[in-house]
Amino acid sequence: MSYEVMVGNKAAATAVKLAKVQVASAFPITPQTTITQYLSEMHANAEWDFDFVNVEGELSSQVVVQGASRVGARTFTCTSGPGLLYMHHPMQTTGSGRLPVVMAVVHRGYKGMQPDHSDLMSQQWTGWSHWYVEHAQEILDSILMAYKVAEDPRVRIPVAVGYDGYVLSYTAEPVEIPDQALVDEWLPPNKPIPSILPDEVDPETFSRGWGGGDPQMPWKIHHEAILGIEDVLKETMDSFEKTFGRRYGNGMIEPYMMEDADCAIIAMGTIAGTCKAAVEKMQKEGKKVGLIKLRSFIPFPEKDLTEWAKKLDGIAVVDRSICPGKGGPAYGKLKSVLYEMEDKPKMLQFHAGLGGKEVRTHDFEMIGDKILKAAKGEKVDPVTWV
Amino acid sequence: MIEIRFHGRGGQGAVTASRIIAIAAYEEGQYSQAIPMYGTERRGAPLTAFVRIDDQRVRERELVHNPDISVVLDPLIAKQQAVVDNLKAGGLVLLNTQDEPEDVKLGGDFKVATVDATTIALETLGRPITNTAILGAFAKVTGLIKVESIEKALKKTFPGRLGEMNIAAVKRSYEEVKGPVQATVKEAPEVKADIHVGGYGVLKDVSSWRVFTPEIDEDKCIGCKNCWIFCPETAIEWNEETKKPSIRYNACKGCGVCANECPVNAIEMVRVEA
Repeated sequence: MSYEVMVGNKAAATAVKLAKVQVASAFPITPQTTITQYLSEMHANAEWDFDFVNVEGELSSQVVVQGASRVGARTFTCTSGPGLLYMHHPMQTTGSGRLPVVMAVVHRGYKGMQPDHSDLMSQQWTGWSHWYVEHAQEILDSILMAYKVAEDPRVRIPVAVGYDGYVLSYTAEPVEIPDQALVDEWLPPNKPIPSILPDEVDPETFSRGWGGGDPQMPWKIHHEAILGIEDVLKETMDSFEKTFGRRYGNGMIEPYMMEDADCAIIAMGTIAGTCKAAVEKMQKEGKKVGLIKLRSFIPFPEKDLTEWAKKLDGIAVVDRSICPGKGGPAYGKLKSVLYEMEDKPKMLQFHAGLGGKEVRTHDFEMIGDKILKAAKGEKVDPVTWV
Repeated sequence: MIEIRFHGRGGQGAVTASRIIAIAAYEEGQYSQAIPMYGTERRGAPLTAFVRIDDQRVRERELVHNPDISVVLDPLIAKQQAVVDNLKAGGLVLLNTQDEPEDVKLGGDFKVATVDATTIALETLGRPITNTAILGAFAKVTGLIKVESIEKALKKTFPGRLGEMNIAAVKRSYEEVKGPVQATVKEAPEVKADIHVGGYGVLKDVSSWRVFTPEIDEDKCIGCKNCWIFCPETAIEWNEETKKPSIRYNACKGCGVCANECPVNAIEMVRVEA
């Protein structure tokens, strides 16, 4: 094991190297650009045996890894904001093909270049698993776990690992690099599914070949396969901790200082880190607010959050993205999940960090105060733009 | 937790300096975080970067708003009161300037240290990249990090001769830094410039970006128009009657392209007094 002070994008490239990815392809776009630079450098130095395919755009990079994945290679691509939108079409095929591609999405907003989660959130219908991570170490660890989960024969679903651009992609911090031998043992080479040719009629993929059958069936299987990720991710988190000594909650969520909390703040990505500092400060002041970091947005941790909701008086959901005219995606989803509950906790919606707006420790203290008030039955605005 | 803010210009290496300190702190067993503030920064434009040093993993992702230490890599930015904005009471500002700490005009309750990092950089590196030429001074006046750890971090970042040259700059600034002394001006001067916004080209004045100013020798000039063609800022005007160029200095950021392109060396780059 070694250490290095590195930026988030270097942590991603380092994970790609540790996973001994065989084919990587990407088109540079701020703030993802330096991943492609690190990978190009690693390729030039022949640090391990892999192909790095330079392409003319993101659509091609997705198609390159898709093709390579179909013939059994372990693959990686990465992009940001508008680049991800440009990939939207082939992403569907990757998902439908049960191709275990892993992609880093370095969040970049649409209204300006600064980060929010609108890029990855807008890809909910592509049939991928979507994870959101908080710091550089978690990027490295999550990309390794993403391969383990994506390539699991029970799953075979591509995984997008999202992290905020600039504030994480370019921030340098200490990262522990696991030994290659340990990674090799924990993450054996990808075993492709038997039928890899796109034209083969194959019930194990849901991209094509349903000639004459129920045209709805591929969607059902796809949906159920993604729901099945929950158990595999939790199992993977346990084995990851056993091998590497680190864990992030149960993989789906990471509760922080929730032991005697009456209320929870739900946040994703880097702002969850700032929230940790805020929660510590609030609990020192006797305010019983904790954090539940949402790591996996797809599949959504329905069971875990329902269990937590039973113990809580209030939940504040902080969304760093918005579907205009519809609202925050995590808030809307959680609210529908809790609909069947008898004794529901109070819920408040917070919009924060959109367009890269800085979210500060005192913002989370304000959020904490509001949800505590709401939980006591006081009147609080249901929606707040932080 | 110790929080540090860097002020500099694109090309002076503020981001690299922040990372070197983060590496050096980690070498000494501390956790660290180096945050660059990325926007439309480019060579010459004012920019900021931040460092946090703590004994546990830093979780906060917000920028540094109340630094303990402010480090200024540029002598003209060092004249702006904004470099000590929101500095914690009793904090420290380390300036790249030829001034003595007692003569610094910034006002408030903080300590001042000064070092002529531009001269050190020009003499050890041959270029006005002042980041490493201020790190030795940083080690000495803050006592946060040993100068040996900075040298170790530099060797990691720049292997070979480049590393050696930068270490020479660090050692010299460690020796030459003056202060810290308590700021002599108590009240903050009222006039403030926004140093976080970089001006550009014809819209705003960029004259403060220059370390070197081009000066045209009209007797040597042969009127070839090369400087006028190559100036990336269209800061050179052409007088069709005299067939000579002139420089609009508020649009010139001192890049030196004109002097480089002049076939008869009629343009000299003169160091700006700071």
